[in-house]
Amino acid sequence: MIRKNTLAILLLASLAFLKPALAAPVEQPETVCIQCHGTLPDRLGAPVKLWRSSIHADNGISCNGCHGGDPKDAANAMTPQRGFLGAPKEKDIPGFCGRCHPGVYKDYLSSAHGRALGAGGPTCVTCHGNHQVVKASLALINEKSCTRCHSFDRARAIRDAMQQTEGYIDDISRRIADFQVSGVDTEKMGKSLFSVRNRFHTLFHDVDVARVKGESAAINKELGKLDAALKEIEQSHQKRRVAGGIAVGFMVLLALLFHLMKKSYD
Amino acid sequence: MENEGRRKFLGVCVAGATAAAAVAAGYPVFRYLAPRSGQGGAAKLVIPVGELKEGDAKFFEFAGSSAVLIKTQSGELVALSAVCTHLGCIVQWVKEKQQFLCPCHGGQFSTDGTVLGGPPPRPLAKIPLTVTEGNITIG
Ligand code: FES
Repeated sequence: MIRKNTLAILLLASLAFLKPALAAPVEQPETVCIQCHGTLPDRLGAPVKLWRSSIHADNGISCNGCHGGDPKDAANAMTPQRGFLGAPKEKDIPGFCGRCHPGVYKDYLSSAHGRALGAGGPTCVTCHGNHQVVKASLALINEKSCTRCHSFDRARAIRDAMQQTEGYIDDISRRIADFQVSGVDTEKMGKSLFSVRNRFHTLFHDVDVARVKGESAAINKELGKLDAALKEIEQSHQKRRVAGGIAVGFMVLLALLFHLMKKSYD
Repeated sequence: MENEGRRKFLGVCVAGATAAAAVAAGYPVFRYLAPRSGQGGAAKLVIPVGELKEGDAKFFEFAGSSAVLIKTQSGELVALSAVCTHLGCIVQWVKEKQQFLCPCHGGQFSTDGTVLGGPPPRPLAKIPLTVTEGNITIG
């Protein structure tokens, strides 16, 4: 009986250690908007399908997060009294997204893109899409997309200036993710990286090569700190592995010694 | 007799190998459980009181991350972590509104770190400070 209890406690304790690796993504809330529009055809249902694979859906931001309204009351969900905003007009799109992304909104407004708002200039959705917004990456800056409005030369120069730092960010992100899976507490590092990545990606909205180059130095310094912290963990894990190997070696030696001891009694 | 001597020798070897195996096996366990270096207390920071006017904020590095010192319009001094409790962006001081705004997802915090709006789940962490002879000591 006691044995069984001990076993159960040990099992539970090991499960508790596994928890960080098994952390589930934020569950998508099934709002009345999704329930209804999810079954509608064409124009009225398409946004739901696109949204499902978006970064917003991954983080539990549902229709009402942007469009307002009441996600719990089907009858009044789309009434202005419940804060329903509907879809913004083209010139209002940056302000619409900017309610939740004020930093990048400010950068956009002061950029050539932002200054051309309402005069044929691009809005957020021109590059990021609307319902299927995915995690921003340098892949968004590509010839096909940029040449819809102008030549790719300047955009290419900016992308090239950002490429090396982006690679550094991706490398650190992958290492943090690996440690997270193995149960290392990566929360602080993950948050730091999120902040640096945001600071870095927002640089693009300025459309200014000189600024990108200048800020990249400061950003690389921040990344260097994270890199050093990760290296420290990697080294410590390496040392632990070597010590484990030595322990196994000594245990093999012990088995041999016991065998010899046994033989001395024969 | 010969076997006795051999057993004695083997016994010493077994004791030695057991001790070595225990140390080698214990080291990873100890390293796993021991706190990582550099996570202990941070060095204190001294900022002259005169460096800050009422309604202003000063950002600085503290314990390896961003922090901010504010002098509220009523003259109260508050030191807070400047790391947003949502996903970790560095908050900005909006002087006109006398509050903090997170540029990433619009989290808002009051001068004492309380969440006023947006997704942050917790207030900004407070950092203790003392004021003596015109100097603010943080930490
Ligand atoms: S990181 Fe601050 S609001 Fe999201």
